Amino acid sequence: MSATIALFHDAYRELNSRKLFWITLILSVIIVAVFGLFGLNEQGVSFGLGKFSWTIDSEWFNSTIIPPKSFYLFAFANFAVPIWLSWVAMILALISTASIIPEFVSGGSIELLLSKPIGRVRLFLTKFSTALLFAGLQVAAFSIACFIIIALRGEAIEWRVFLAIPIVLLVFAYLYSFCALMGLLTRSTIASVLLTAVFWIALFGVNTTENVFQMLRIQREVKIERLEAAIDRQEKRAEEYLARERANGNDPVPAGQVPEVYRDEFEAVSPTLGPRRRDLEETRQSLATWQRWHRILFMAKSVLPKTAETTGLLDRYLISDKMRETLQKLGQNNRRGGDQSVPDEDDEIRIRGDDREVQIRLEEAVRGRTETWVIGTSLGFVGVMLGLSCLIFGRRDF
Amino acid sequence: MTATATAAATAPAPPPVTRAGSDWAIDLTDVSKVYKGGVHALRGIEMRVHRGEVFGLLGPNGAGKSTLVKILMTVIRATQARGTVLGDPVGKKSTLARVGYLPEHHRFPDYLTGRQVLHFYGSLAGTPRRELRRKSDELLELVNMTEWASKKVKGYSKGMRQRVGIAQALMNDPDLVVLDEPTDGVDPVGRREIREILVHLKEKGTTVFLNSHLLSELEMVCDRVAILVQGKVASQGTLEELTLTRRGYHIAIDTDDDPAPIWADALPGMTDGAWRGINVVLNNDTAQLLTTDPAAVMPVIDRLRAKGVTIHSFRPQRPSLEDLFMEAIIDPTTGKELGPGAAKGGRR
Repeated sequence: MSATIALFHDAYRELNSRKLFWITLILSVIIVAVFGLFGLNEQGVSFGLGKFSWTIDSEWFNSTIIPPKSFYLFAFANFAVPIWLSWVAMILALISTASIIPEFVSGGSIELLLSKPIGRVRLFLTKFSTALLFAGLQVAAFSIACFIIIALRGEAIEWRVFLAIPIVLLVFAYLYSFCALMGLLTRSTIASVLLTAVFWIALFGVNTTENVFQMLRIQREVKIERLEAAIDRQEKRAEEYLARERANGNDPVPAGQVPEVYRDEFEAVSPTLGPRRRDLEETRQSLATWQRWHRILFMAKSVLPKTAETTGLLDRYLISDKMRETLQKLGQNNRRGGDQSVPDEDDEIRIRGDDREVQIRLEEAVRGRTETWVIGTSLGFVGVMLGLSCLIFGRRDF
Repeated sequence: MTATATAAATAPAPPPVTRAGSDWAIDLTDVSKVYKGGVHALRGIEMRVHRGEVFGLLGPNGAGKSTLVKILMTVIRATQARGTVLGDPVGKKSTLARVGYLPEHHRFPDYLTGRQVLHFYGSLAGTPRRELRRKSDELLELVNMTEWASKKVKGYSKGMRQRVGIAQALMNDPDLVVLDEPTDGVDPVGRREIREILVHLKEKGTTVFLNSHLLSELEMVCDRVAILVQGKVASQGTLEELTLTRRGYHIAIDTDDDPAPIWADALPGMTDGAWRGINVVLNNDTAQLLTTDPAAVMPVIDRLRAKGVTIHSFRPQRPSLEDLFMEAIIDPTTGKELGPGAAKGGRR
């Protein structure tokens, strides 16, 4: 136990000696200070304190619509954590800690450590954990500062802010497990940072592509539902029309005289029915294609760490459903269009990505992924990376 | 391996190995290491180090010394390792709590002070926290680094780092200390101090396993040595044992005449370089009689004096460690230096 404490104590000293640690910490404090300068009042969004504050008037974004506490929580969950902690601070943390493993296994240093009565796996995992200490201290400091800001400006004691610590640490662990393996394999800080950056970009690519494919799939599902409803309605109308006309002694489509261009007599009396039926068939085929592609991407994503979705968990925990509804309404007010009402008979049915139904289903699909799946599969990846690292480190000659 | 070295290399029979009762600090019966690519660094090392002795490991570059040391310290995994360290099987991690180690090219974290280095590595070695302060002060005093204890290591000279390195190896009060080139980069005064530390350790009963290129230093402090050549132990034993068959007496006469008849008179009946069963090497006005019995040489002195020959010097002669080393690394068949042991696909 004293050996583990010594390794952590040493890691703290190492961090203390790194300028980047302090630079990141100072930047975090500045970000929180700026965060604290924003506020909501009855007129709109304010910036500054006391006499030195300016307000941008807004009818739909002010403290009468959104309580200040919710505003700060929303800003914390949607801007401070996903942008600052999950991107900028994460990059700085990776740069700062990328050298830990290459330096750890470098000649002259590793011999001293391996010659101590500590197992190799324990030594490696402890060293890995010391890197997490860096990210942990950064995010802890940031969260404490945000907690104070929310308490002072939002007038609310919001302990849930500290959920950012485990969540950001998890995301850092996903990336750092890969970085540590690369550091072990290449023994080079620069190579491990670059390879981790490439990996991160690849993760972003997989995640974005999966989202796009999912959206395309949902778009088609919605379109099929609407087409089916419209076709059904049209068929009923056509049926009613034919029955009515025939009852009056008129037969617009004498039996057995349906022109070849039409599939049935309904199409003969409803000109848009045929194109809609063809559109439905094409959309069903297209849906099958996108379902297949989405399934492939989803499987790929399942074995990879889910950085964005893990960070998104904070949004789930911090933003209440009521607050979310308010924000969605605000978003709709802001967005012109984007939603398609039930189509008329002659309307062409087109479903856009920002269709409200698509957006709702997309969000439901994302939120339907449980914490266990998001964190569990990502931790599985971390486990594989650490397992490989321990295997290599445990068997390597130094 | 030469015939004489082979004779001297015969190690004592191993005592029964038990953790508590073994007389051996290190008892290796078969240690081999083949690196990737089929490079045979060690080819069945047999070596025994008594508890409480200072043992020197020497050999040319590439002989496998560092590989052997690293295997003992679990830095390298042996391909095969039969033997014990402090009574435990080679490679057992918990044994390292009783071992101190100074690697050849060690590198301490630059952000630590000398005292922090001792605390850190002492903690890793299992030194109780309450002991760290007292122990580090004691050892900093021993290696003469007290004044620099609070300075960062990055400001240290090579010699100072070496001293701190030795101190950290002693933080856990080890039963066995393995020092790889401990005097590397240390000035003559420092070397002397390190020798004194080694003597101090020996007096305490600590076993010291020393790997060094400086043969003269090894000779000064080591009780026993092993010479490693091409991944094998060419010879091992005390200096007495190793030089037993090459010790003798050196007689130098002072004469303006041809010395051959003088030696013929002094060594009557000498044939094929042997006189009364003693090997004799004549070289102009000097003679080497390879015997450890001084009484056997006295008749020669008597005859020389009876003939009125001036004896310039008469002294016992023992080959130096360097002589033994050079003899071990020279191939007797070709007369050339043997290549490194780390030969790809070499014979075991």
